[in-house]
Amino acid sequence: MKNILYTILYSFKEIKNSKIFYFFLIFALILISGSYFVSQISFINEGRIMVDFSIFSITIFNVFIGIFIGSSVIYDDIEKKSIFLSITRPVKRVDYLLGRVFGLAVAVVFSTIIMMIIFYGVLLLMHKFVIPARPGAHFSILLLPQPVIIQAVFIIVESVFISAVSILFSLITSKALASILSILIFFIGNTSSKMNALVRPVRGIINGKLQIIHRPNHVLAAIVHFIYAVLPNFSVFNVSTQAAYKVFLSGRMISNAIVYGISYIVVILIIASLIFLRKDLS
Amino acid sequence: MIEIDNVTKFFREGFFGIRKNAVENLSLLIEKGKVTGFFGPNGAGKSTTIKMIVGLIRPSSGVIKVNGYDSGDFRSRIGLGYLPENPSFPRGLKGIEIINYYGKLLNVKVAKNEIHEALKISGIFYAKDTYTHKYSKGMTQRLALAISILGNPEILIFDEPLSGLDPVGRKEFKDIIYKLKDKGKTIFFSSHILADSKELCDKISLLVKGKLIKNSSLADIEKEAEENKPVQAEYSTPLEEYLYDLMLRNKTEN
Repeated sequence: MKNILYTILYSFKEIKNSKIFYFFLIFALILISGSYFVSQISFINEGRIMVDFSIFSITIFNVFIGIFIGSSVIYDDIEKKSIFLSITRPVKRVDYLLGRVFGLAVAVVFSTIIMMIIFYGVLLLMHKFVIPARPGAHFSILLLPQPVIIQAVFIIVESVFISAVSILFSLITSKALASILSILIFFIGNTSSKMNALVRPVRGIINGKLQIIHRPNHVLAAIVHFIYAVLPNFSVFNVSTQAAYKVFLSGRMISNAIVYGISYIVVILIIASLIFLRKDLS
Repeated sequence: MIEIDNVTKFFREGFFGIRKNAVENLSLLIEKGKVTGFFGPNGAGKSTTIKMIVGLIRPSSGVIKVNGYDSGDFRSRIGLGYLPENPSFPRGLKGIEIINYYGKLLNVKVAKNEIHEALKISGIFYAKDTYTHKYSKGMTQRLALAISILGNPEILIFDEPLSGLDPVGRKEFKDIIYKLKDKGKTIFFSSHILADSKELCDKISLLVKGKLIKNSSLADIEKEAEENKPVQAEYSTPLEEYLYDLMLRNKTEN
């Protein structure tokens, strides 16, 4: 357990000092800060546009951190042989792997917190979208609405999830291919639920009866259903619409999404551990 | 003590996965408190053998035991220090941060002065606060040496410890190995530089094309070398000449 903690701290320090991490972090901060200017195109609700745009920026850059650093964190260790000194200490391989994965997870949490602080600052400055903690009181702290905070938690789960996927791929293929496959998984995971809805039979009322009026190709429908069932569904972590409209999220919905994400992460880490245990590090 | 019992390691190569033996039926006993030199030409299987001992790769068949534990078991690496060939470290971390991390992984409390002592012995103390990506090859090698001797391990395994070092660095490295030898450490080091043999070793093992050709004490091999003096005069001592000849013959015979 101690070795996992030491490796988490070491990995976090290493990632925190890496150029790619700063590149994504700074780029995201620029976009969040610029969300005010983007919101000027709207004549309805500037705050809503700011939230939508900023949540998109935070999500995409954390996912990029997960994918690009995830695909190199262990792959580079093996390629550059820096793993030789770690694994030849009295350390279990699984402890090392978990330390590296959770080190990246801590970096994702760190970047999300920084992005959220800047996001909160921008909203406070513009006095948009924030709500008073004690409505009606003379003086009250202004807070972010509940769905925005939950969205931040979901971004962390989603990014750690895709990091684990990326690390798993990097153990069996090259760094570039691991990144491409992870991006594909992320893309499919975000669209599979919509695709699945599209290949369902279309029903309509004909002669007063509910009937199927269009049935998509069976093979296509089976493929889409299979992808939807097997690959992760990332759309469960996307509550940006609820956040933009300040729709309160139920505890059940939140816990379901978190349990779904954590279950998948655990399964991926078990598979990655089994591969890493058998891998020849030469 | 390290026991290597009838170990074979093969890799699959090419599109059809053709089997290629890197090490073949290797049996070797690395005795406690002795310095064993592991020699052989490039591609002989020295590094593969060392990687199997330290648990980086698994033997295809046979058993390797370190301190009574299978080499795949993490407990076999308690009291074992390893210096890899051409070590490297991740970017963005200072020498002191890296050695602190490796010290914590030893599962024993390593005091700050012990870390400083290891850095001083290795001659890299002055650069402890420098980022390792700014280190030269020799400095990286020294930091890796400091890490390998941290925690006072009983067994030290060095893979080509002198490669890439300048003459001064080589001399200093040899002096460190002498000091460790005087402390009664079990040292197993690989090299393809024959001149390293006489100066450091109590015992010599010669590996060619994955097969163990010689495994005797230095005195015995020296005696053999005197008796079977080869005709070429490439090297300065009969021992070097003899080992060179053995490598050459076995390479062409196979």
